[in-house]
Amino acid sequence: MSDVVIETRKLTKEFVRDEFHVIALKDADLEVRRGDFVALMGPSGSGKSTLLHLIAAMDRPSSGEIRVLGQDLRALNDRAIAHWRNVHIGFIFQSFNLIPVLNAIENVELPLKLTHLKAKERMEHAETALTLVGLGDRLHHYPRQLSGGQEQRVAIARALVTDPDLILADEPTGNLDAGSAQEVLTMLSRLNKEFGKTVVMVTHDPHAASFAARVLHLEKGLLLPEGQSAEWSASQPAAS
Amino acid sequence: MLRNLTFILKSSMRNRRRSVLTITSIAVSLCLLGVLMAMYRALFFGGPETPAQAVRMITHHKVGLADVMPMSYENKIRRVPGVKEVMLWQWFGGSYKDARDRRNFFARFAVEPDRFFTIYSDVAMPADQKAAFLQERTGCIVNAGLARKFGWKLGDRITLVGDIFPVTLEFKLVGIYTDPENHEALFFNKEYLRESLGADSPMRDVASMFEVRARNIADVPRVAASIDQMFDNSPAPTRTESERNFELSFVAFLGNLKLFLLAICGAVTFTILLVSANTLSMSVRERLREVGILKTLGFTQDAIVGLILGEAGVLALAGGTVGIALAALLCGGIRNGVSGIQNLRALAMTPGLALTALGIALFIGLVSSLIPALGASRTTILDSLRYSG
Repeated sequence: MSDVVIETRKLTKEFVRDEFHVIALKDADLEVRRGDFVALMGPSGSGKSTLLHLIAAMDRPSSGEIRVLGQDLRALNDRAIAHWRNVHIGFIFQSFNLIPVLNAIENVELPLKLTHLKAKERMEHAETALTLVGLGDRLHHYPRQLSGGQEQRVAIARALVTDPDLILADEPTGNLDAGSAQEVLTMLSRLNKEFGKTVVMVTHDPHAASFAARVLHLEKGLLLPEGQSAEWSASQPAAS
Repeated sequence: MLRNLTFILKSSMRNRRRSVLTITSIAVSLCLLGVLMAMYRALFFGGPETPAQAVRMITHHKVGLADVMPMSYENKIRRVPGVKEVMLWQWFGGSYKDARDRRNFFARFAVEPDRFFTIYSDVAMPADQKAAFLQERTGCIVNAGLARKFGWKLGDRITLVGDIFPVTLEFKLVGIYTDPENHEALFFNKEYLRESLGADSPMRDVASMFEVRARNIADVPRVAASIDQMFDNSPAPTRTESERNFELSFVAFLGNLKLFLLAICGAVTFTILLVSANTLSMSVRERLREVGILKTLGFTQDAIVGLILGEAGVLALAGGTVGIALAALLCGGIRNGVSGIQNLRALAMTPGLALTALGIALFIGLVSSLIPALGASRTTILDSLRYSG
């Protein structure tokens, strides 16, 4: 497999909302290599989450090309995309998004239910993942019994339990206090450095972005050239 | 589906109050539906026909039970090929104690004791009691269930005040029998009734019914046809039918009960379908965000539909099981409490009915959740995640 994990060419996402034509992302060219830790930064509405959703195949592009892990995502149907996402992607949400009726280990086990693993093996994997994020003593705690930081760590365990090639995080520290945010960022950094996971993280927090090896900026739907930030865009025409 | 059983079970009880209310509403409806189904079965199919019952027929006036036939028909019927025995079977009616109290109602017939046990070969009674019934003109025999109900024992005096027949008859209980169908009835000697009526009574030598026993089951249709043919052009034409059909004909007195019961069953099913659909769609809508999470984890549309249908199925089966248990209790209560409608003695929540009711419950659960499930599964991940329900 190529060393390039994510490759987009002129990737564009447009939609119509309340009769307004919105260009969320325009002509984004991106290349992420195996083992990269990339932070996507930008103000609200800049298109960073849209780009992340397109990479995760949670949304389909309006035009342009997107290959993730060598797979042309536009060629897959819904069922194939669901399977592909289960196997290759670990997704971390800003608001944790744990299932409230399931305890920590059951939440982490969920993605494994789509695999061929037996129940015992699934529980062993889930326990290992939770232990890895430091929650080995909270296996049977329900989300309501955990702090925000612990909930996000369960969500991280759920994201990595299938041993995905790519971890995508959408503002993972957005709902956390400084201490918990630090823990989560350290954990993502560890997953990147120690386990070689490719991480793409959306954030608008410069401190969070400082954990990434590469920081890319988006502004009004445009992915700015690496090393350029919003100041650069001031002299450029808007995307729409 | 089994892989997700824990998830389905936990999800189905996430809002306990709503789940309990949903289960209760399904249970109450299924209880009603179960009782109605049991009633339908009891009234129109009854219990299994015993071999002895299968060879018994009732001959009555073609016009109806209120019209009478000459007593002389009995000997003519006996001569019909295939007839093993025939006996006068006279409904006495009357009242026992306070007639206004429905609990005092039971069937009372004047019969011929010397032929009774040939006709009712499935009736069991000690030999000495049989002998007493044959010998004592004022003797009567009752079903064991009826004796239990009134606390009667051998030697007790039972008084019936006639309404159709203008006589008051006092009987001595000489026998307590058991029969497979547990017909709660009292039988007494027809001669006692005739004597009590007096020599000049026009009711003395007429019969409202004859109980006929064929030699074997194959003879039954032919014997029935022969009897009716024999009296076809007489002043009192007859209608002969199997004992089972005769019992079922009483149900017809209640009107188009079949249609009535089916209509109620349909209405109950449709109503609970709407109630369940409303509850389940509300439940699914509230958890649309979760659908987005599951899809992000790799769950397909089919898997999402399966989970939601599974939850609905769990609630419906729980409600159905409770409802069927309640229906079984109610059937027992009705069976033991109603003496007026003999067919309801077969009222029971049989395994077949219970399975059918459970199937209906499951059907209601699945159908009512199908549209919300499909809707949720087709919602895009991003739209689902945006939902803050």
